Amino acid sequence: MRERKAARFRWNLFPYLAVLPAAALVIILMVLPIGETIYRSFTNWDGLTSNLIGLENFRLIFQNPVIIQVFVNSAIFLISVPLILAASVVVAVLVYERVLGWRVFRFLFFIPAVLSPVIVGALFSTFFLPSGLVDKALSPVGLSSYPWLSHPWTARAVVILALVWTSFGFGMVVVLSAMSTIDPALYDAAAIDGASWWRRLWSITVPMISGSLQFLSVINVIYTFTSLFSFVYVITAGGPGFATTTVDYFTYITSFENGQFGYGAALAVLLFLVVLVLTIVQVKLFPRREVQGS
Amino acid sequence: MSSARVRRAVVFVALCLVGVTTVYPLIFMALNSMRTSQAYEVSPYGLPTRYSLDNFRALFNQVPFLSSLLHSVIVVVPAVVLATLFSALAAFVFTKVPIRLGNVLFWVMLTIMFMPGIVVLIPLYVEIAHLGLATNFTPAILVYTAINIPYGTYLLRSIFRGIPDAVIDAARVDGAGWLKIFARVVLPMGRAGVMTVGILTFLNIWNELFISVVLLHTSSTQMMTPTLAQLSGRYSNNIPVIMTGLLLGSIPTLLVYFVTARVFIRGMLSGAIR
Repeated sequence: MRERKAARFRWNLFPYLAVLPAAALVIILMVLPIGETIYRSFTNWDGLTSNLIGLENFRLIFQNPVIIQVFVNSAIFLISVPLILAASVVVAVLVYERVLGWRVFRFLFFIPAVLSPVIVGALFSTFFLPSGLVDKALSPVGLSSYPWLSHPWTARAVVILALVWTSFGFGMVVVLSAMSTIDPALYDAAAIDGASWWRRLWSITVPMISGSLQFLSVINVIYTFTSLFSFVYVITAGGPGFATTTVDYFTYITSFENGQFGYGAALAVLLFLVVLVLTIVQVKLFPRREVQGS
Repeated sequence: MSSARVRRAVVFVALCLVGVTTVYPLIFMALNSMRTSQAYEVSPYGLPTRYSLDNFRALFNQVPFLSSLLHSVIVVVPAVVLATLFSALAAFVFTKVPIRLGNVLFWVMLTIMFMPGIVVLIPLYVEIAHLGLATNFTPAILVYTAINIPYGTYLLRSIFRGIPDAVIDAARVDGAGWLKIFARVVLPMGRAGVMTVGILTFLNIWNELFISVVLLHTSSTQMMTPTLAQLSGRYSNNIPVIMTGLLLGSIPTLLVYFVTARVFIRGMLSGAIR
């Protein structure tokens, strides 16, 4: 009896030991810092001294026109999300046709996804430099050198283009993965019924992959709000003016270049709340027409 | 020609066009890395009229390229191994071994997965500076490991769920302990998935700029991505040197992708990414 108890104890200890490293790292290096950031957002912390100042940081944030613009910029960059979704679906559907060399294409289309945003950003900024690749390509059409990165909307367009280029490969794989679970008999039946190619795309493919589209939408919205730092850092450094400065980039400058950690913490908390709300909205509102197979 | 054949031809051409956009930038980097800056100003297209390795020389002599590469390896390799191993252990328990608070822990991870990195980095940066560890690689390794655990656990959980419980039960009846079941049954059966998650984690960490800029900002510890990011500013009047840096900077991840593509793409298609 006692032996069996000891055996069961050993038997039961492993799961806790197995979870321990992951749990400890996540709690110590993520959960506790989140708590500290929330606390510090109510202080004027500069890294050394810290006094509670109530909601002062948040009051300053909402009074600062630059910060309003920075949030608007991040919202503008959300244009990239439907573009990424559309590009992912189109490319996946094309690959799914299994024409000559489709495996090679699938392989090639993921290349941008394995390059660092730093490399992608530097490439696109090079292409769009005055008299760079794009200007040279457009010169036969009669367009001369245009300062793409010096005008707010063209600079934003370059960032969005870079984002779409680097993101559609991952989206394509997610969509292909979802499409592989669709029963080909559905397409055959629709074809016999005389459904056109577009009709099949809209009535079979899109509904069957709506779960994956929701997933892609959620992660790309989060990415747009929290991870454009590297693109912006390299392509425009936030300029011209603050036209391409995103929330995460501005929070970086506030915290790590200006040393206003309390203020930066308040911005980070606000950013997290925005991301949280956007995620919940998407989970709730996204049309879920997915037919559950099992 | 039948309409089906016309359609297939159109699809093929469309795929070729998309393929050009994903491959051409690599060719652009490669060709211009061997051109002089004067030749680039004349034309950035086509084969160089005269091949030169001056850009590579300039890069290695003026930029801490090789040391950044070494620093990235020092940080990324252990972080990838630890993050994947710890995620796999946690995912195994979450799917196959009911424990107290297991669900709570998993939901904490799921919520944290969507956390902007900067939320945790502000206090971590200050704390690490206070501890005098700003030039030490260990904090960065641990932070990268921790930040990649939630997503890794989430992915591996869905992979391990695909392993039938009957297999686990059979191993238990045979008297195997949990550790043995994990190492001898679960890991081999989920091998493609675990490798896929490992490669994704590698790509995430290697390509990441924000954490490396914040945590390892001194020149003696600078990683690859900050070095690459500084090229554009430093060589704004010498594009070929920038292209050389970007080309060399692309090689590690491209190499890993090319070598592992079969397993990696199959792993992702079988649902190892959501």
